[in-house]
Amino acid sequence: MPLSDKNKPRFAANETLWRTAMTVAVVAGLFALVVSTLLIANYLQMRAVNPLDNPEIVKLRLQLAQSQEPNPTLSEQIRVLDLLARKAFFTSQKQLQAGAYLLLGGVVVLALALYLAGQSRPRLPLPNPDVPAPGYWTVRARARELIALAGFVWVIGALLAAHFTRLDVPVPAATASLGAPVIPAKAGTSLPASEEQQKTQPAAAPTVTWPDWATVKKNWPSFRGPGSYGVAQFTTAPVEWDVESGKNIKWKTDVPLPAPNSPVVWDNRVFLSGATADKREIYCFDSDSGQLLWAYTLGKLEGTPDAPPKVSDETSFAAPTMAVQGDRACAIFANGDLACVDFSGKLLWGKNLGAPDNHYGHASSLIAFQNLLLVQFDQKANGRLVALDLSDGHEVYAVKRGIISWSSPACVETPTGFQLLLNSSKDVTSYEPLTGKQLWQLKCLSGEVAPSPAWGAGLFLVANDYATATAIKFAEGKTPPEPEIAWQFEDALPDTSSPVGTDTHFYLSTARGEIVCLDAKTGKQAWMQENEEGFNASPIAVGDRIYLVDRKGMVTIFKDSDSFEKLGSPTLGEESFATPAFMDGRIYARTATKLICIAAG
Amino acid sequence: MRRLPCIFALLLLLAVAGQATAAFRFPIPEFESGYQHPTPVTPAPRLIPPAVDIAALAGALSITAWLVLKRRSRREVLLMAVASVLYFGFYRKGCICPVGSVQNVANAVVGNGMGVPFVVAVYFFLPLLFAIYFGRVFCAGVCPLGAAQEILALFPVQISRPLEHVLGLFAYAYLGFAVLAIYTGAGFLVCQYDPFVGFFRLGGTFNMFLAGGILLLIGIFVARPYCRFLCPYGVLLRWASIFSKWHVTITPAECIQCRLCENSCPYNAIVVPTPENAPDDRRAGARRLGLLLLATPLIVIFAGWTGLASHQFIARIHPTIRLAERVAAEEQGVYAERSVESEAFRAGSKTPADLYAQAEALRIRFKTASACFGAFMGVAFCGRMIRLSVIRRNRDYVADQGACLSCARCFAYCPVGKEDAAF
Amino acid sequence: MSKEKTGTDTSATDAAGGSGDVSVPAFSRRDFMRAAAAVAAGGGAWMVSHPSEQVFGWQLDPRKCQQCGRCATACVLTPSAVKCVHAYEMCGFCDLCGGYLQPGAKAQDSGAENELCPVAALKRKYVEAPFYLYTIIEDLCIGCGKCVKGCNAFGNGSLQLQVKQEICVHCNDCAIARNCPAQAYQRVPVAKSYMLKTLEGGGAPKA
Repeated sequence: MPLSDKNKPRFAANETLWRTAMTVAVVAGLFALVVSTLLIANYLQMRAVNPLDNPEIVKLRLQLAQSQEPNPTLSEQIRVLDLLARKAFFTSQKQLQAGAYLLLGGVVVLALALYLAGQSRPRLPLPNPDVPAPGYWTVRARARELIALAGFVWVIGALLAAHFTRLDVPVPAATASLGAPVIPAKAGTSLPASEEQQKTQPAAAPTVTWPDWATVKKNWPSFRGPGSYGVAQFTTAPVEWDVESGKNIKWKTDVPLPAPNSPVVWDNRVFLSGATADKREIYCFDSDSGQLLWAYTLGKLEGTPDAPPKVSDETSFAAPTMAVQGDRACAIFANGDLACVDFSGKLLWGKNLGAPDNHYGHASSLIAFQNLLLVQFDQKANGRLVALDLSDGHEVYAVKRGIISWSSPACVETPTGFQLLLNSSKDVTSYEPLTGKQLWQLKCLSGEVAPSPAWGAGLFLVANDYATATAIKFAEGKTPPEPEIAWQFEDALPDTSSPVGTDTHFYLSTARGEIVCLDAKTGKQAWMQENEEGFNASPIAVGDRIYLVDRKGMVTIFKDSDSFEKLGSPTLGEESFATPAFMDGRIYARTATKLICIAAG
Repeated sequence: MRRLPCIFALLLLLAVAGQATAAFRFPIPEFESGYQHPTPVTPAPRLIPPAVDIAALAGALSITAWLVLKRRSRREVLLMAVASVLYFGFYRKGCICPVGSVQNVANAVVGNGMGVPFVVAVYFFLPLLFAIYFGRVFCAGVCPLGAAQEILALFPVQISRPLEHVLGLFAYAYLGFAVLAIYTGAGFLVCQYDPFVGFFRLGGTFNMFLAGGILLLIGIFVARPYCRFLCPYGVLLRWASIFSKWHVTITPAECIQCRLCENSCPYNAIVVPTPENAPDDRRAGARRLGLLLLATPLIVIFAGWTGLASHQFIARIHPTIRLAERVAAEEQGVYAERSVESEAFRAGSKTPADLYAQAEALRIRFKTASACFGAFMGVAFCGRMIRLSVIRRNRDYVADQGACLSCARCFAYCPVGKEDAAF
Repeated sequence: MSKEKTGTDTSATDAAGGSGDVSVPAFSRRDFMRAAAAVAAGGGAWMVSHPSEQVFGWQLDPRKCQQCGRCATACVLTPSAVKCVHAYEMCGFCDLCGGYLQPGAKAQDSGAENELCPVAALKRKYVEAPFYLYTIIEDLCIGCGKCVKGCNAFGNGSLQLQVKQEICVHCNDCAIARNCPAQAYQRVPVAKSYMLKTLEGGGAPKA
């Protein structure tokens, strides 16, 4: 028998089968309908109140977190609600799964029954009445018309979409510089060039002359000294003293508010800042007597946020060291408040740079260069390097920076000119201090970077714990300078303390109390010394000696040499996190509560 | 300066957003009790060897071709469809499938730097190859999406042929748009909007089920709506099948013009004999065709221009464009709060300016892609129009090789037996 | 209407080659074209496939992850194929665990008011003073990432979200990847289908 005949359905009716199949189909259809309704209801219910983010529980939890004492009733309430929520969640998940299988089963039975029903009561094949309606030609004509209509609708739709949609994405700026002064040019009026110039730079340093580099070097204008790279210009600091007996202690003064920032000195003035959650102060001391000359309390500046910033205990509210330049001193605080005061304690200008988004608290110290105050304002988003004119605080330039750090800028006179070096948690970047132009960038850091760059033997050194210490050299005579990794070191690395460089060595001090001496040429470890206490403060090179304060306030003084030669280990008498200032024959050191001046004789 | 928050910081820093990575805040303990770390649970993927996948597809295609062309059995083709739904659908969870593979191949062709695994390449080409020789046997009983609809096409009705022609253009639009999305990197739209994969996985988003459910319900009466009016791979299969060598025929032997099969095809894929009573003016038809052929380049260019004009509208399908718009609006203070995407972006190292530059580059890519998409639709439009203006004479009831899905429904309606063949 | 247009006889547009012109030579031009197409398809399959780079599955990079919680909801599977995985070697084994306890929890116990995990999938076990081991009960974990967020914010980041490859259905276009705000998802080869952060490189300080 030919295949075709065997496989052909008979078009034969079977009334009983049809009835049975239809009954089954109706039942299965109803079943599927009920199950899908339940599933949809379950879904909607889950969406309305997601049991896992139950707002009621969230509210109660917040209440509990805010209460000081343990609250058993509240705890019990949460437990009951939470149990209900979890039960609801898992039950509904099980329901969804079971429902899916039930629905699938229902649909299968339905399809099977309907198929059988169709087979058992077939529609007999019957040709159309004589004249096929609509005729062959009419169908084609209709189809053409309909397609033309569809094309028309399509075009109208596209044109409407084109007309009403404009992307709201700004045209990207050609340069990465942010906040560069933009002059809104008034339509139709073009300003004369000179006038425009004046508008761009409202105060083009009218009469103020700023101290030159030589003058700056005679002072201690910022964190870790002139240029902020840890090298003192005077080499006459004392090596022994005793706080207990007062030997070589010139004076000791209490500092009203505590903070980990370090003293800065200009002529006969010593500056410090201190803060609590809601109070911010700048102190000025007489360098000869230690007398607190004045304390300036910051009021609310433009843009000062009402709520205090969230900071860690170690960072606290005034971690950044101040900067002093000529006749004025500047301080920045954890809430973004920046104030510039003169030597008599009068506010010259102040502004808020925006509350830093920083989970430990803002920690980068300030540095001044000529007429500019340079602020490394690194944070989670919108980090930037801001240069403000010291005369009135207006923004001269701002450069976008990608990533957060707690490191401070260093400004170094290199053979190719001044370079402003900023560490971030990924890389080190060099800028032209006056313009903010990026000179070079090297990706060699990682982790949460707090140590600042060092300079010695013609090399830059940057380091961070869990990353590496990287020495950067420069090909001779290349402008702009081209960085190149000279060597790297990985064994013991600083966590908050910055490295320091001399002509022959680099020194690292770690949070675990190691002091490491590296050969500047090769990067080989010359020696390592273990101290009982870890280091937060940074080592300072004073002539051929290195001074290093540990957390307990003990100062290790050793020779800049290929072997460890201890010159003394006097103590500051209490905990210290600040890096002392070194002037001619004097050391100014900040401890947990005091400012101490140490001087020989 | 200061790091390593002590334990109390935990209580202080309640709301710290935690992307401060790679910080070992706490030292790794040294255990004295001889404790050993358990190994983290990272089981390998459960893989089906590529050879099995390829063999399954090749086998299913061969069997279906045999059932359709040799056995000519509707029931067996339907059983094959059930088997495919079970294996390719429920067992393999609808992935990998040739319909989605269009995008992987397009991705490799436009040079997005992502190769196509060999299995996926085979899944793309094998059904096309079968179509060149045997017609759309893939659609008939292998494709799980098609098979699911075929099984549920319980009371099929014929929709009007003009409507069929118009709706068929949507598949071209979907194909073009999917390729546009691939070219611009906006995503794999075909997979994203696969209506039935949720059923195969017995889980998925509500909208997916809604779309799939509606399509299946429609499909009870209007058979295979996805295959006919949406499937992007179907467009390619259609063109391969047009040239097929051994395409299925309605009658096993000679057509006797009995007209019994006339209403048997729910897909309007039976070409009726060209009537002799040609309407009035033969000249008018010729003129229309001539005009159409002349206008085609203009229409294609115009369509390309409409695409180009609406590129900004289309560009919004790209997440980066949407993010750039959001960030720009936030920068201008339109929104009080940042969106999750914007928050995540800001935590990264890119600046809004970078993002805008990226969006601008994408916009230019969308310009090209939209213009091409528009032109492609113009071509599809003109192609349909030309086809409806050209007369190809045929005497018998034959399958429209492009549209025919080889479902084998019509066989039962043909009274001619194989033994009637005059060999 | 047009009457007849037979000029398109054997060209490519002559699709429905009616039963009239059946007689074809043994190997026609069309056959040749078909064979060419077949060869082209085979060659094309070979060309577009790069057997060397078998990118296959999806994985999320915990270094980019922002713990937004969408892994739990965006996956095509319910519950999600993403679950928390613990890299024990990175863990500080703290008593006061940011991944286990609610912020500001009053006691270090598994009371619902203190426990962070909404489905109690994180199990805490005493090892030795003062260390506790935290393990994940996978059947319960829904991949919401709450514990991961806590561990990243206050701990070493040893709790990490990962796509469990034995659960994942390896979609062509991962639905979570599409919804991930941090763009932490990427295609990974079979051999390296997990991206857990580990201790490697420098290591952590020993207590």
